[in-house]
Amino acid sequence: MSREELIEQAAQSIVEANKDLAVEIANKAIAEGIDPVDMINNGYSEGMARCGDRFDRGEMFLPELIVASDAMVAAISVLEEAMPAENRAEKLGTVVLGTIEGDVHDIGKGIVATMLRVYGFEVHDLGRDVPISSFVAKAKEVNADIVGSSALMTTTQVGQKALEEALKNACLRDKVKTMVGGAVVTQRWADKIGSDLYAENASEAVIKLKELFS
Amino acid sequence: MLKKYLTRMGDGERVEMTADEIRRDFELGTNDAADRGKIAPLTQDDLDRLLEIFTNPNKVVSVEPGNEVPLTHDIGTLRLMGDQGNSGVGIPLSRVQGIQVHERAFACDTMELGHIDYSFKPVKPVIAMEQQELENALLSTIVPLFYGAMPNLGLYYSPDGPFGNPSDLLPMGKIQEAREAQEGAVEHATRDMIYIAEKLAAVGADGINFDTTGAAGDTDMKATLHAVEYLKANTNLAVEVGMAGEFVLGMHGGLEYDGVRIAGLYPHQQVKLVEKAGADIFGPVVNTNTSKSMAWNLARAVTFIKACTEVANIPIHVNMGMGVGGSPVFETPPVDSVTRASKAMVEIAKVDGL
Repeated sequence: MSREELIEQAAQSIVEANKDLAVEIANKAIAEGIDPVDMINNGYSEGMARCGDRFDRGEMFLPELIVASDAMVAAISVLEEAMPAENRAEKLGTVVLGTIEGDVHDIGKGIVATMLRVYGFEVHDLGRDVPISSFVAKAKEVNADIVGSSALMTTTQVGQKALEEALKNACLRDKVKTMVGGAVVTQRWADKIGSDLYAENASEAVIKLKELFS
Repeated sequence: MLKKYLTRMGDGERVEMTADEIRRDFELGTNDAADRGKIAPLTQDDLDRLLEIFTNPNKVVSVEPGNEVPLTHDIGTLRLMGDQGNSGVGIPLSRVQGIQVHERAFACDTMELGHIDYSFKPVKPVIAMEQQELENALLSTIVPLFYGAMPNLGLYYSPDGPFGNPSDLLPMGKIQEAREAQEGAVEHATRDMIYIAEKLAAVGADGINFDTTGAAGDTDMKATLHAVEYLKANTNLAVEVGMAGEFVLGMHGGLEYDGVRIAGLYPHQQVKLVEKAGADIFGPVVNTNTSKSMAWNLARAVTFIKACTEVANIPIHVNMGMGVGGSPVFETPPVDSVTRASKAMVEIAKVDGL
C-alpha cells in the first residue's frame, strides 16, 4: 500500500472513530517503513481536524468525538513505540483550563481540553464555575505554560480580565501565556484585556498553541 | 472616496463598511449557511434587498404598514425586572405589572409569565405560587398569556440533579454511562414539564413556551417533543417551541424522535419534528458569531430561516435579540441592528412573527 493510501486511511479511521482500524493502519505503516511522524502529522492529525470541522457543523456528535480522540491516542501510541527515543513526541506544554466563575457552560471548553490532550498537551481542566484564585493556584502548582479561560456570557467575560490581573499580582503573568475563548469572546476582547491568544473554536486553539510551541 | 455605511460587528462594535464590503460579507454568510444546512443560498434579489435594508440612511428601519407581524416575548418579565447581569433593564416591577406594561405600553401581541430561574425543574416545588400569579395576570390582562421556561436538562445532572453529568462522564470515556444518564434525564424532565403545564392549564394558561430547547443537546429536544405531544393530546394549551441554537448539539448523539435522529438538525429539519409533535408555533434560532460582521451574520441567519419558513406548516416566530437572528451579542442590542435584522427576517425570510 502506498504512503498516500495509508495516510488517507489513517485520517479516515479517525473520522470513522474506529480505534481497531486506526491501530491496524499504524502497524501497517510501521511494517511498510513509513515515517511515523509523517503518519501522525498528515494522517491521524488530519483526521482529527476533519472531526473538529464535522463537530462544528453538527455532523459529528460529542460521544463520537471522544471515541475518535481515543482512536487517535491509541494509534499514536503504536507509532511512538516504533520511533527512535529521541524522536518521540514530548509534551508540548502544560495547560490550565477552566470556565470563569459564575458560568456553567462547559461543553466547548471540554472539547478544547480533549483536543489539546490528543495533540500532546498536558491539560489540567478545572471544569466550570472556576474561581479566579483556582486558576492562579493551579497554574502555580503545575508550572503552567498556558492558562486558558472560557466565558459564554458577557457577565462572566469580565472575569477573563480579572484573571489577567490576578496572574500579574501573583507574579505569574510573565511566565505563562493566556488564552481566551467562548461565544462572546473576540480577538478584540483578547487584545483589550491583554490576553496572548484568542481561539474561536477547539481546532483553532490547537493550531494556535501548536504554533506557539513549535 | 467610496461611501461607507455604519454597521456593527457581531459583538455590537460600530464599524463602517462600503457597499462592496457589505455585499461580500453577505455572500460569505449566505454561502456558509447553505453549505452547513445543505440549503439554498439567498438569491440575487434577496441580496439586493438586504443591501437596501443595510444601507438605509435611517437609524431605525421598519416594514410598510400592513406588513407588520406579531411580536411575542419570551423570558417573561425578566427583561424589565432583571438588571444588566440578567439581560434586563433593572426596573423594580412585580411580574403582573411587567406583563401589563408589555401589553399596554409595548403593545406586545403575546406575553408570558416566567419564574426568576426560568427553568421548568425549579418551578415544580413552587407550582402553587406560579398558578396563583398566573391567575392574577390572566384576570387583569387580555393579551394571550403563555407560561415560559427552559427545559434545561442540565439541572437533572450532578451537582444539580440525580444523574451523572455527561460533561464529566464523556471525557472519562464513559460513553454508555453518559448516554444512560441522559436517557434518565429525558424521562424525568418530560414528566416534570407535563406536570407543570397541566397545573398551569388548570388555572387557564393560554399556552406554554418551551424556550431555549436543545440548550443541553439532543436530550433537551427529545424531552420537549415528548412533552409537547402529550400536552397537545391532553390539554387545550397552545404550545410554542423556541430553540437554543441553530443546530441541535449531539450530547447523546443517538436519540431519535419519530425515527429521525435529533442531533445535528438545522431549523428547516427541526420544524418538521416540532410540527409532528403538534406544536403551534416554532421559534428557530441562528447564532451570532461575535468575530464576524453583522452583514455576514444576518445574511447567514436569513438564509437558515428562509429555508425553515419555506417548509413549515406552522407559524415561524424567529428568535431575535441578544446574540440570535443576526443581532449582536449585547445585553440590549443596538436599535439600528435589531430593526434591520427584524425587517430582513420579515421581508426576505418571510417569518410569521418575531
